[in-house]
Amino acid sequence: MGWREAWRISSVAFSELSLQAIYAFRQGNLPPAGPPLQMVRRARRRVVQSKVLVAAVLGLLVAGACALLEVSARIVATPFFGVVVPTGVFQMGVLTGLLAIEVAFLWWTGLQVIPTLLASGVLPVLEPLPIDERTLGRVAGLLYLRLFDLPAAMVLVTTPLFVAASLGAAAGLAIVPGAFAAVGFALALALWTGRFFVRRVQGARGGGGRTLVRWAYLVLWVLPAFAMFGLVIAAPGFLAIVGRTLGGGPSLGSDLVLSVFPITLAILPAIAVHGTAAFALDATGRAVLSAAAAVYVVLTAWAVVWLMASVRRTGLAPVLAPADAPPARFVLRPRGPARAVLTKDLRIASRMPGYAFLVIFPILEAVAIGLFTFVTGPGSSAALGLALAAVATAALLATFFGPAFFAIEVIAYAYGRTLPITDRSILTGKVALVAGIYLIAAGVVLGLTLVRVFQPALFVAFVLAEFPAVLAAALLELGLLFRRARARGLPIVNLYSGGWYAAIIAVPGLVVAGGPLVAFRLLGAAAPETALAAMGLFALGELAICAPFALGRRDGRTG
Amino acid sequence: MAAPPYGPDPVPLVVEELSVAYGEHLAVDRLSFSVRPGEIYGLLGSNGAGKSSTIKAIVGLVPPAHGRLRVFGLDPATDGLGTKERLGYVPETSLLYEALTPREFLEFVASVRRLDPGTSSERARNYAAAFRLEGEFEEPIASLSNGTRQKVLIVAALLHQPPLLVLDEPLNSLDPRSVRIMKDLLARYVATSGRGVLFSTHTMEIAQQLCHRVGILDRGVLRAEGTLAALRGRSDAGDATLEEVFLRLTREGEGLDTAVRALEGR
Repeated sequence: MGWREAWRISSVAFSELSLQAIYAFRQGNLPPAGPPLQMVRRARRRVVQSKVLVAAVLGLLVAGACALLEVSARIVATPFFGVVVPTGVFQMGVLTGLLAIEVAFLWWTGLQVIPTLLASGVLPVLEPLPIDERTLGRVAGLLYLRLFDLPAAMVLVTTPLFVAASLGAAAGLAIVPGAFAAVGFALALALWTGRFFVRRVQGARGGGGRTLVRWAYLVLWVLPAFAMFGLVIAAPGFLAIVGRTLGGGPSLGSDLVLSVFPITLAILPAIAVHGTAAFALDATGRAVLSAAAAVYVVLTAWAVVWLMASVRRTGLAPVLAPADAPPARFVLRPRGPARAVLTKDLRIASRMPGYAFLVIFPILEAVAIGLFTFVTGPGSSAALGLALAAVATAALLATFFGPAFFAIEVIAYAYGRTLPITDRSILTGKVALVAGIYLIAAGVVLGLTLVRVFQPALFVAFVLAEFPAVLAAALLELGLLFRRARARGLPIVNLYSGGWYAAIIAVPGLVVAGGPLVAFRLLGAAAPETALAAMGLFALGELAICAPFALGRRDGRTG
Repeated sequence: MAAPPYGPDPVPLVVEELSVAYGEHLAVDRLSFSVRPGEIYGLLGSNGAGKSSTIKAIVGLVPPAHGRLRVFGLDPATDGLGTKERLGYVPETSLLYEALTPREFLEFVASVRRLDPGTSSERARNYAAAFRLEGEFEEPIASLSNGTRQKVLIVAALLHQPPLLVLDEPLNSLDPRSVRIMKDLLARYVATSGRGVLFSTHTMEIAQQLCHRVGILDRGVLRAEGTLAALRGRSDAGDATLEEVFLRLTREGEGLDTAVRALEGR
């Protein structure tokens, strides 16, 4: 059997994977009413929609980066942290950022998808069939690649095209190895880290200190997404460092900079435009650059080969618990139903990285922005602005991810529906989770920035004024999802396969959470007390509207 | 001792004219039966006979297309929570919260059922010991075998000592020791006045040993109902086993020899 047969089998398997990715029957979800074939078609369509969404975001990133390339001459007129950055170095920096973000974004989406691929059980079904080993490996590899076909194609096609349009055909050709490396590395990294985390974290035992270790692992899981954000925030500083290093002439430092991915491959288009002289490269520098570029090209090919060989092994690997069995604790500590939902969601998130991301990411982003208060200039007004921005970001991110928390209900949904729990308890538990993330993020930012911004009263007032809006947004989003779920079944499985729907639901939530922030911004010229009072009133008004919508729908007796 | 007041009516389960449909397909057609106090009622049928669909309608997973259900006199359609509080359910497939350990899962169930820590802990300890779950109590459910998951589900169903147990093929993945424990446990369970058990299976031997009455379901229709002796009488089966009675009543036995011979001839 050759590639053609592998492709044919993977097409059948991909239909099943799409069905499981959207409806998660193997995770305990209930089939919705309606003809099965219609369900299969809908699942296929949803997966394509999600791929289109991810590809569109990547396309926008490429277009944004290339827009910066177009106006690079104007931008470099302003020194970065006092360092004059030549146009070529600036262009190299933009392309470095673009390739890094492409890697991080694809890596992150890969991490979201891998648990679905494993839970779908598609690969074990193929094993007993009379298909040779090589074909089975190819089918598994193709199945994985087909999850990313549109996003990967977007990177591979638009990156060279847009760079060519901005910097010329030679530059467009020169970025091709970088685009291939970005896709190859991202997909291989996603599989490698996904396999490690899913097995290590999902197999971890319960109880006390082990929970902390699991969350520590999960912080690492968030890093690729965190890196995207950090890269954008730190871009001027990065450009200043690279500009200073390369501007100092040939040195060990500049050789080291050139040999780091993705700089090695991102500098090639800039060299194609400006020549090596623009980067003060001597013979050693050119040799280092050529060798590093060759190594990355070879590594890309190796990553793809490794990937194709490893998907099947990953798909068949069982979740294993460590051999050292601790003594069983038979102490159950029942809580109220809403608290039980919150605890269950946190416990599930602590073993399912896709969900853990939703908890950790808003907090880490707030921390990252909070830390930047330490590099602002003298005086505390800029630092205060950044600290408040960190809180606002946490509010918006917690709200944005709110719909995805609902997706946890997909797991064992059929069983959960037989328990005597009200919609209101489930909703309260999940809103408490969103609110908790916001408050933890705000608390951490306050703790971090207290040295730099000693205005705790103002800071706390801002956090409290926004708090009702966060509650209102979460209630609105989850209320909408509950209505849909009761009418048509639970749709969202993860941020990738259910991304389309999650994004639509998140829009009204973001409007609600962002409303008071806009009010504060508009009234910023007035006294802070006035602006905060207006913000708080606005938020309370939103909560007064959204709470009855979400909580008042049912009397709770129908379960 | 008087039965505790489990609801407005002492009868654990009444099913009247129940129909369950999936689109055009009628899985259960005007089914009527009841589970009396102190009774284990066996719902028997071949694959696809409608056993699981009936049970799913009773526990609130699929809406009935027609008919009435009563759990201790409560209507699941208008008092879903009330009926769920009185039910313990073991599904046919063990699709659970894979990321939780059995302890975490049982803690969630105990919370939702508002049990107190002392009672729920003691029951969990006793059942875990009976089913030899101690070694797996802190392992994620994802790493457990099917049989162990099934045991966890049984413990979860028994944790609040419900007056009505609804068990959908509960013994399928269990080891012989656990099957024996379950059989003894169910026999004692209904001895407490007022409780009832609905038990679906296609294993006739178990139904014969365990159930006080059985209902034979065939393509969504109840073909016969009663004690084994009554069913033997109805099918002129003398001292036949329940399996033989079942094959006669459902006519599933017709053409059996021909089918086996055809297989041998291949």
